[in-house]
This record gives sequence, structure tokens and C-alpha cells, in this order.
Amino acid sequence: MSDVTTADPRPLVRVRDGAARVAGCRCRACGEPVAFVWPRCPVCRAETAAASFGPHGTVWSATVVRVPVPGRTAPYGLAYVDLDDGPRVLARVKGDADAPLPIGSRVTLLESAEERDVQVEVL
Amino acid sequence: MDVAVHGVGTSHFGRQPDRDLVALAWDAVREAFADAAVSAVDAVWVGTVFGPPGVAQRVLRAMGITGIPVVTVENACASGTTAFAEAHEAVRTGRYGRVLALGLEQLSTAFDGAIHPEPTDPEGRAGLALPALYAMAAARYLHLGTATPEQLAAVSVKNHAHALHNDRAQYSGRYTVEEVLASRMIADPLTLLQCCPTSDGAAAAVLGPAARDARHVTVRGVAMRSGQPWDHRSPHVWGHDIVRDTAADALAAAGLAAATDVDVAEVHDAFTIGEIVTTEALGLVPAGEGGKAATEGVTALGGAHPVNPSGGLLSRGHPLGATGLAQLAEIVWQLRGEAGARQVDRARLGLVETMGGGVSGLDGNACVITVLEAP
Ligand SMILES: [Zn+2]
Repeated sequence: MSDVTTADPRPLVRVRDGAARVAGCRCRACGEPVAFVWPRCPVCRAETAAASFGPHGTVWSATVVRVPVPGRTAPYGLAYVDLDDGPRVLARVKGDADAPLPIGSRVTLLESAEERDVQVEVL
Repeated sequence: MDVAVHGVGTSHFGRQPDRDLVALAWDAVREAFADAAVSAVDAVWVGTVFGPPGVAQRVLRAMGITGIPVVTVENACASGTTAFAEAHEAVRTGRYGRVLALGLEQLSTAFDGAIHPEPTDPEGRAGLALPALYAMAAARYLHLGTATPEQLAAVSVKNHAHALHNDRAQYSGRYTVEEVLASRMIADPLTLLQCCPTSDGAAAAVLGPAARDARHVTVRGVAMRSGQPWDHRSPHVWGHDIVRDTAADALAAAGLAAATDVDVAEVHDAFTIGEIVTTEALGLVPAGEGGKAATEGVTALGGAHPVNPSGGLLSRGHPLGATGLAQLAEIVWQLRGEAGARQVDRARLGLVETMGGGVSGLDGNACVITVLEAP
């Protein structure tokens, strides 16, 4: 969005060894994976260590947004994706948004587009 | 100290861009003061989400409420009932004698269209408008076979029919399931008639010590929680567990064994799936039977567990900060037998549930649940 001056809050996707991965952290105590670099675990408050997740995951749920949202062109597809051994992330679905991605679909992370959405496509 | 609601009031609900927040708030406060037969209070808690800085003092000065403590709270859609919960605690502990809880919101002038997703939140920035958040839960229910599209639509049919008897509601109507499903798709699978409208309004309650009074509705218990992490480990859809846990607190405070002990409930049906998940999480209906309850009339006026006799957020409208106190006003009227054609017969115990969301990764910003008892 053009009218926002704050730091971008979305998870950061980086390419490592040819695969797109979410750069986040993992709890040193309970193992909770987090899609962000946070100082403490949101579940148990223990310390975290840097970790990255992806590139593959499974769609937990999905929808197509068909109403106007500032800075976006509707319709667009969104999915909650449970990354393998990783956190649940909200991802933009690449391509035409005719219908929601089927729940249970296997997807892979894509290299971040300019807009910096976490983006996925069906494997 | 036992606490009672001495009086309630609301404005009309709907798009009212030509009226200002002073006028909307005055409608609610004037009625609540007259209802409680008082002309002053010792403190005020105000709930609003998009009200500008200073909005509470700005509207209150116009009605001569100055020189007393005024506190503004924001808890997303649960802001109004958060103000109520704090006002209740202030009276219960004896901090103040008589307290006004006021909720207000004017969305028609705050946004061009629907509420914008919050750009400082990761999921808001990613375009997760509120209908889409609920759509994710609805899609999950459909996928698992926990609900059908027709059951989702039945909630809208029921609540719009209830609102035919509520002249303060923004919308009402006799719709069919087919009409609800055929309305414009907003966020799959939720159609337009399954989404609450953008609304302006205010609602208020005067709280004080419980006394023998034919019009005092006793507060049996209040509970408020903010959400725990909601993530890939969560067993339920977003917004389920916080309602379940807050309900357990509120029922314990009220000395009730189960939510099914109440005679009438107003719950947070910002979207049809919200009422289905909430009735299950509250324990008003068994797990997985929220949709069936709507279809079979269990949650309709005249059913075993009437839910949203006012028409709910789907019909009354959803002026965020005002919503919780509008729900509360409805239950007070129900328990005093003043709800007219939408009256639940012999309602003695009532429940109000409000749910606020928008912070990603949490199972809700806040949930507030109140149990009330007839005079
Ligand atoms: Zn942990």
C-alpha cells in the first residue's frame, strides 16, 4: 500500500539453496515455529532462535476476496498454508482467482514479488 | 457488591453520515439516563475503535458530562462490552457508585466502503479483510462437513426475520436460503447477505449497585479474555477456543452449570459462520451442530435456545464500538419483558457474547461474555 510508511509487517521470504523459505524463528524450549523474528515464543515465552521454513506446505483453508481492498485488485486468492514442520502463514495465491484453492492442496512458496506478499502456487 | 444494569439506551443503527457522533451518542445516553431515572454518573467508560482521539470527552461535554473520570477503551468489535466489563468492575469493587458505559462508532464517515484491513498487521497488510478471516473458518467447516452452505444461509434467514420486529435495525427481511446463497459473493463461501453491514450508532448502559427494583437487571457474571496464539496447532477454527474459555469463566462467575441454562442470547454474528462457531463454543448446542440448530429452528425465536432475537449484527448493523452495548440493551429489554413482538417467553437469564478480532496469530483480540438475570 502506497500510503503506509511503517515497516512492512509481512513475513520475509528469502531464497536459499534455490528454494523460497520464510525467515522466522523457532522456540528453543517448545519448538513452536513462528513466521517472524520475535524475541520470545508466543506460546511459552522461552527464547527463540532464527529458523526458516518451507518451501512446501498444505492448504489449511482458502478463500477469494471479491470486495475492494485498498492497494489491491479484487478478486484475489488467499490461503492459510501450514508449512511443512513450520508455521501457518497467510499466503497470496498466484494466478487467476476463479475459485479458492482446495483445502489440502500441496503448495510451494514463491520468491517474493515486489509487493512482498508471501505467495504460493500449487505443486 | 452485586451490580445491576439500571438503564439502557441506543440510537438507531444504519448508515447515518449526516448525523454526528454527538447526536448518535445523545440518543443512547438520553434514553439510558431516562430508563435509569438518573441525571448524572460518577464515571464513564467509552468503547470505540475508529473514533478519533478525544471522541469520548468531545461527545460527553455536549451533554454536560464533564469533570468526572472518562476512560476510552479499544478492543476491536468487543470494545463496547469491554467498556461494560470495566464499568461493572468499578461498581462491584465500590470504586464508583454509578457508572455509564457508552459505545459509539461512525463507520460510514470513517471509510469509503468496508473497513480497511489494518496495514500494520501482517495479515491485514496481506489483504485479509474481515470477511475473508471469517470465510477461512466457513470454508473449513464446509470442507470438514461440519456445516453446509444451506446451514450457513439459514443463520442469515433467521436473523433477518427476527429483525422484522426491531425497528432500530438497519436491515430486515424475509429471505429464503436460496436468496441468501444467490446474493453477491464477498469472500468465498460468504455471500453479501451473510455479512454484517457497515453501520453507525451508539448504545449505552447505566450500572450501579443492585437494589430491589422492578427494572434492575442483575449482572450475574462478566468475563473478558484476550486470545492465545492461534496457529497450525490449534484444534479449532479461529475464534472458537477464546469463546469457549471466556464462557467457562462467565458461567462460573454466574454460578451456572452450562450456557443452556440461559433463556436468550445475543452473540457475535458479524458473519453467519460466526454464529455457528459461537453457539457451539458457548455450549448452547453440541459441537458440530451450530448449522443444524439454525436450520431446525433451535436458535430461532420460539426455539429451545433463541439466539439474536434483535436480528444480530447481520441485521441490526455493526457499528463496532457500539455493538456490544447494543447486544446488552437487547438482553436487558428481553429480561424486563419489553421486547415486543420479538420477546422470548419468560426469559429469566440472558447471555451477551462479543468477539473482537484482527490481530493475526491470536485467537481474537478480546471476547467478553456477560450473564444477566431478570428483575
Ligand atoms: Zn515455546
